[in-house]
Amino acid sequence: MFFLSRQTVGRHRSLYAGSFVALAVGVFLLGLAATATAATIAYHGPASASISVTTLGGDGTAPQNVKVPLSDADVSGLQTVLSMVGTISGFITVFVIASTFAFAVASRRREYGLLRLIGATPRQIRRMVLGEAVAVALAASLTGAIAAQLATPLLLRKASYTELAPVKLEPASPWVPLAIAVGAGLLVAMLGARSAARRAGRVGPIDALREASLEPPRIGPVRVVFGLLFLAGAITMLTLIRPSSGEGAVPLAMFTPMVMVIALTLLAPLVVPLVGRVWAVPLVAWTQVSGRLARSNVLAAPRRSASLAAPILAISAIAGSMVLSLSFAADSAAATIRDAVRAPIVVTGAAPVDRAGVKAVDAGVPLQVVRVAADYAELEDAEGIDPVIASQTRDLTVRSGDLGELTGNTVAVSKEMAGFEGYRVGAEVPVVFPDRKPVKLRVVAIVKDAFGVNPSFLIPLELAREHAPQARTERSFVLPADGVAPADLVQRIPGAQLATDWEADQAEGLRKGNRLGLVMLLGPAALYSAIAIANTLLMGSLQRRHEFVTSRLLGATPAQLRRMVLWESSLVGAVALSLGAAITITVGVLVRHSMTSGVADVPITVPWGILLGIGGLCLTLAVGSALAPTAYLLRVVAGQNAIQQGQ
Amino acid sequence: MTATAPTYPYTAPAGPPALLLDSITKTYRSKAGAVDALRGVTYHFARGSFTAVMGPSGSGKSTLLQCAAGLDHPTTGTVVLNGVTLLGLNEVELTKLRRAEMGFVFQAYNLLPSLTVYDNVALPLRLTGRRPARNDVQRVLEQVGLEGKAKRRPAELSGGQQQRVAIARALITRPSVFFADEPTGALDSGTSRQILGLLREATDRVGQTVVMVTHDPVAAAYAERVLFLSDGLLAGHLDRATPAQIAAAMSDLER
Repeated sequence: MFFLSRQTVGRHRSLYAGSFVALAVGVFLLGLAATATAATIAYHGPASASISVTTLGGDGTAPQNVKVPLSDADVSGLQTVLSMVGTISGFITVFVIASTFAFAVASRRREYGLLRLIGATPRQIRRMVLGEAVAVALAASLTGAIAAQLATPLLLRKASYTELAPVKLEPASPWVPLAIAVGAGLLVAMLGARSAARRAGRVGPIDALREASLEPPRIGPVRVVFGLLFLAGAITMLTLIRPSSGEGAVPLAMFTPMVMVIALTLLAPLVVPLVGRVWAVPLVAWTQVSGRLARSNVLAAPRRSASLAAPILAISAIAGSMVLSLSFAADSAAATIRDAVRAPIVVTGAAPVDRAGVKAVDAGVPLQVVRVAADYAELEDAEGIDPVIASQTRDLTVRSGDLGELTGNTVAVSKEMAGFEGYRVGAEVPVVFPDRKPVKLRVVAIVKDAFGVNPSFLIPLELAREHAPQARTERSFVLPADGVAPADLVQRIPGAQLATDWEADQAEGLRKGNRLGLVMLLGPAALYSAIAIANTLLMGSLQRRHEFVTSRLLGATPAQLRRMVLWESSLVGAVALSLGAAITITVGVLVRHSMTSGVADVPITVPWGILLGIGGLCLTLAVGSALAPTAYLLRVVAGQNAIQQGQ
Repeated sequence: MTATAPTYPYTAPAGPPALLLDSITKTYRSKAGAVDALRGVTYHFARGSFTAVMGPSGSGKSTLLQCAAGLDHPTTGTVVLNGVTLLGLNEVELTKLRRAEMGFVFQAYNLLPSLTVYDNVALPLRLTGRRPARNDVQRVLEQVGLEGKAKRRPAELSGGQQQRVAIARALITRPSVFFADEPTGALDSGTSRQILGLLREATDRVGQTVVMVTHDPVAAAYAERVLFLSDGLLAGHLDRATPAQIAAAMSDLER
């Protein structure tokens, strides 16, 4: 059947161009993530930039030597982002391929029926569809891989010397990562094409004889069951976004929409007409025949409408949830920083020398230590503090233990870290200092979390100076003497800011960091979805030539047909966006609730501009890519009519 | 029905039956209620016969053809093709039987637009896993008068030429039974004559059995026998009738 696959791919170029572009872009992103990851793995910093430690062992694991890179040679940040880019691209690729193939199959029922009629078995049809997928996937994956290889040096140049990878990265051998990307592309295409192939195999020979290639509106019980399972999974994940999940709320906010999108896509043939009916009410009321026609077209072919709606739903739900969650996370972080700082003045840079008008300076020394656990060792942020001063300038509310005992080889641990690692007062935390000296620190206190102000580990100031002689104060909290106005004091100290201003700067810094992350994560996915949306709609419209000819013969004007297509694509877009918005709002509300419990007066920043931008862009793309081919088809139809009349 | 006053079930004419329909009924159920498309049809199509099936719209002639070809399952009754009962065959067995024993020609030519004429004709052989012999394909193309057009694609051919490709495709596997549903419905009268001539030739020369559904008395006149179907029942037949006789019988039925 491969012979036939090759021929039909050539013929249905418009149907497969979309799948090709989608898959090529997907493999390009995956390949780029893979080659860049390979470059980070291949990176070996100078020996001075890492600390060798031996893990503790125990619990069935043997002690082993591990090298922990210091922060100025740490490329794990880039690796994390790359793996997330890979995950999102992979997800959207499966998604887009599945919907484009489903679409291709749905619009070719008659052809499959014909093949069945002249003697093809269902198995042969399935193999033919899969063969087409292989043919497209092979070409697309190789194209994507070559493009990724060409773009890798550019990406590495951009990524080098950034916060994510503070080193110079060189391209590594591309064969393994690109083979992985191509393999993933083929696998994804197979996965995406499988259900489409199975559906094609069920087409009977009698379908060749039916004039209308309208698909049966029923959806299979298997699909419903899986849809409900994913829905249940998504709801379970939603219930996990609660105050106790702490930092885990953000990844949950990223993955829950994906599961929800899968669920809704599986159930789309049921859900889309339902929501479509609601949106169609004003449409039918306000327009004449075109709105009514649009409604019937959307409702009568639920599968088709569903595959048009799917990519819009996917990107709007995922991007919307992420944008909103990160904004709320920044809100809550800003409130946490605000609550954690008690001193009215913050000095950035070296600690103030001139002590006139100053009551106390909390000049902590930031450093990094390697925390050694049973089977791993990890770099942790720590700060050397004077507990007496620091507990006046910032919120160091003690949950258990006593900060007064913070002298010698001791440590105060934040509540969250203590929760993760099960530290209690009196426990010992083995660490290695930057001077490579291993020390066992005794936990003397568990203090309240204060992200952005206090690191997870607080040690005595002297201990920090002893083991990290090069470490310098980077920011200090200043208490003015009695009777001195902070506003006046700020003028006199270099690098000083009122605490409120500093807090605002920190919050702004967070949002800026979030924006960078969003661009890196969502940029490729958004580009990809845009292609997918345009693609499904283009395919959908180009297939409707026959319908347009008939409607023109019935007396519909080109303007009426254009309006019908406009309303139709708007209706599908509105259905998808309202579902996406529902997911975004649900996730946003839950994330906000989980992050603001225990913090008072958290500001609400809803990034309306970005959210409305996402919606507007989806809608514009949807309508535009439905109207463009319609205009083209109408011109072709008009031309043909003229020729026929001339004869 | 001047020509006959037959009693049905009809006893087969001479020769062993190629296709046997035994009390076929077909009921379509929908929300609007049940529709009886066929209400008990029994008939033996003799080997090498050319039979036209006529009847008013909705008389069940297309359903009859689809049930006879195993494309649709009759609600009750059995279909036996060359001694094989279609009932009880699974989809794959049915497909194999179809590609070995049956050829199809329809009003819509049903060619694959992406394949050349040659590949379209060779397709049924490829589907059986055989490599088509170039000579066989060329011979069939000559038989339908399409020599020299092997490299064209369907879109480059006229309607009559496309229908001839469809007939060539049906001939290539040398099926014992040809099913034709309005094969000349979309063609002008001159082209229609050529197509019908080809079907006629298939029965006369090779001994293939042709079952043709049509509403055109001229087309039906090419058949040895015309069966009339009305309201899902056989209502009569005419043998070697002229178009005028057939048209008269049809207008009787429609009254």
